Amino acid sequence: MDEPRAETDALFALVRARYGDRMTAEQLDELRKGVEVTAEAMRALRAVKLRNSDEPFPPFAPYRKDA
Amino acid sequence: VSESPIFLPVRRLAELVRARRVSPVALAEMFLDRLDRLGPAYNAVVTITRIRAMAAAARAEREIAAGRYRGPLHGIPYGAKDLLATAGGIPTTWGAAPFRERCFDFDATAIAKLEEAGAVLVAKLAMVELAGGMGYRQPNAAFTGPGINPWHPDAWSGGSSSGSGSAVSAGLVPFAIGSETWGSILSPAGYCGIAGLRPSYGRVSRHGAMALCWTLDKLGPLCLTADDCGLVLEAIAGPDPDDPSAVDRPWMYEVAESARSFRFGVIKGATSGCEDAVTENFERSLEVLRRIGTIEDVTLPDLPYELITRTILQVEAASAFEDLIESGGIAGLTAPEDRYTPYARDAILAKDYVKAQRLRGVMAREIDRVLSRVDALVGPGRVTVSPRLDEEFRSPIRAAAAPDPLGAIGNGAGLPAICVPNGIGDRGLPTSLQFMGRVYEENTVLGAARAYQARTEWHLQHPPVDVPA
Repeated sequence: MDEPRAETDALFALVRARYGDRMTAEQLDELRKGVEVTAEAMRALRAVKLRNSDEPFPPFAPYRKDA
Repeated sequence: VSESPIFLPVRRLAELVRARRVSPVALAEMFLDRLDRLGPAYNAVVTITRIRAMAAAARAEREIAAGRYRGPLHGIPYGAKDLLATAGGIPTTWGAAPFRERCFDFDATAIAKLEEAGAVLVAKLAMVELAGGMGYRQPNAAFTGPGINPWHPDAWSGGSSSGSGSAVSAGLVPFAIGSETWGSILSPAGYCGIAGLRPSYGRVSRHGAMALCWTLDKLGPLCLTADDCGLVLEAIAGPDPDDPSAVDRPWMYEVAESARSFRFGVIKGATSGCEDAVTENFERSLEVLRRIGTIEDVTLPDLPYELITRTILQVEAASAFEDLIESGGIAGLTAPEDRYTPYARDAILAKDYVKAQRLRGVMAREIDRVLSRVDALVGPGRVTVSPRLDEEFRSPIRAAAAPDPLGAIGNGAGLPAICVPNGIGDRGLPTSLQFMGRVYEENTVLGAARAYQARTEWHLQHPPVDVPA
């Protein structure tokens, strides 16, 4: 089995295990398509190279009430 | 007074109110009557706030008569998107059937600031359920029905600030407050032929507004003109101890006209995917802009802009509505796809979400570098005119949808943008022009849009609605 297909299958299995009992067969079909699109999109995100110094934005800020 | 208040800009209405040539009470009664009579035709209204409005209008009238004029919004009626909390037993429904009876016991900061400015809340306006964050694909996505465009009974008003767009366009309120996470102010403004301003992230407090995406949500005005957007923004902008994201940067609307020349940028492929009329009207708009400045082509770095912002939006929205989604409460929503689509967001892994947040930083730095060399990027406000009511529309918020780099960048990086009408397209529906500026440069985009409107008359055209002589 090719890797993208396996990834989609695994992610869809997770979603179905959590919510499958409340959905119709048609909704599950639609949801699988949605998971497939999401998985493809995430692969595109991962393909972009970043430097170690590229932090999440906005950066974390510690909290102090009186600061 | 001989001129009808309907379709008068706030600035002109304010002059009449201040000079006591128009009574705030009479104004409130006039717009309440229009909301009552015409609002249902556009599915624009959730709740008419008559008792609160008449009390506020009477108070404004007394104060102005006593010489205590508060400013240009004093005595001016307005409507608020129904995701802003309001006290006094007025429901705040978020456009969603599961919340249609829900009331808060406080006013959102934006509502409180408008009250302080003397504005008169006349209605809570319809919106797409949960501000569209569940992934709707069609106009019929609110318990109030699809937002109907005053320009055409078979066209959508846009969303998610549907009623805010249609109510201003149809002359049911002089101005309205909407919200944008991605497109929810610019879309209804563009489709309904009015001005809509998306302020910088943090310019307006979100306290008391429904949270869809904490790092993307913005509140802003929808008005008849860019100038009016400036007047309203000044009233609602400012820091707020109840919203840590509200920036501590004082903001004043700089209205003084100057002979300044603007530098505009047009990104490569700005009209990609646009309808022919949208492209033609954009080209004509550029001719107008060349009279007030220069235009240069801009190339953006190759980044997955839509993907970055979409990932953040989908994850934050799924988290913000975790209880509703996990409990199955989304089954009570109106759009069939909203009842199950959010479940797919569990497939977005934490590492991918963090990657999107890291790429967001790259995107923010790159766009700031571009915008440091121009005053504004310009582009079509929307790629099409308003879709038909029974039509599935393309949305950049969903994958495999319409490209919207300006929307993705502007919302992902928290940048201000304004959308103004720039012509008429297919089916006699408005098209629009967008100006997007550097963060906190609302005065620059407002100035550019005002200069454009000073040289065009599209904002003086109104839909065929009932207007008293």
